[in-house]
Amino acid sequence: MSPSPDLLIAFLAMGLVTYVCRAAGFFAMGWVRLTPRVEAWLQAIPLAVVVAILAPAAASGRPPELLGILAAFIARQLSGNDFAGVGAGVAAVAVARYLLA
Amino acid sequence: MARRDPVPFTLAGARAGARAITAFAASTVLYGLAFGVLADQAGLDLTAALMMSALVNSGSAQIVALQIWAEPIPLVALLIAIFGMNARYLLMGAALRPWFARLSRPRAYGSLFFMGDANWLQAMGEWAAGRRDGAFLVGGGLALYAAWLGGTLLGHRLGRAIGAPEAWGLDFLLVAFCASMAVSLWRGRGDLWPLVAAAASAIAVHWALPGPWYILAGGLAGSLTAAWRHEPVA
Repeated sequence: MSPSPDLLIAFLAMGLVTYVCRAAGFFAMGWVRLTPRVEAWLQAIPLAVVVAILAPAAASGRPPELLGILAAFIARQLSGNDFAGVGAGVAAVAVARYLLA
Repeated sequence: MARRDPVPFTLAGARAGARAITAFAASTVLYGLAFGVLADQAGLDLTAALMMSALVNSGSAQIVALQIWAEPIPLVALLIAIFGMNARYLLMGAALRPWFARLSRPRAYGSLFFMGDANWLQAMGEWAAGRRDGAFLVGGGLALYAAWLGGTLLGHRLGRAIGAPEAWGLDFLLVAFCASMAVSLWRGRGDLWPLVAAAASAIAVHWALPGPWYILAGGLAGSLTAAWRHEPVA
């Protein structure tokens, strides 16, 4: 069965807004001269985004989250592998939530 | 602006991107599962749930959309919520400019449809490591897309037997990924002040505003601090 036209229009509009978010930053930077300072800005975005995602979870002060972040850091450092860090972090949170709940 | 050398865009690059994201894609299936369950509960049939996942391809935005879903569809509220959830992509797309400007437009704009947090972060790691194959992003993105659609299908089918995803620590996945990536992306003491600026602004905005605006705020504050402190090389 096929969804109603209303539904299809809603999904298309939602998809369009999402795609514009994905493409517009790249598009707009086409008008900016990539001077060394602009390149320094762009290069610094990944670490800043990562820290921005982390910081509120770390600042929440909830023990499972703090343990999870710590476990992810340590596992990543010891293994040199990003996904070992992810696995250790999620496992630590799940176990800590179960034990502390 | 001087025209720059083109960069490669190969099948091998796409495969490398897909391989690098495998473990994360496995968890995206679980995230898709959660979405499928919620979509079923919100009264969307399987075709509708799959269609939303195929057209929007944005997990957190779709889950928020379901929370305000109603009959008749509150389209304006939905679109504002989706924009709020995805505004961080503006900054992420901007960061790809020096790299993707060297691809043809169809490749660059086609790849951007598949840009998510995880494959973007990994692609930026590739770029920082000096690897230039532009297909890396879309390779990871296609793997995530397949995982997202597969998860949506499974979740909708299996329905309510699954339970709340928070209990499995899944909501923590992106945070754990970022903790790992922070170690990979850290370049040295010059990154300290941008890090402090990003963390402080993210915590403040997270406290003040609902939704993920804190990611955009922290990303902007941290990266602009880095640009401001940048010493031009004579």
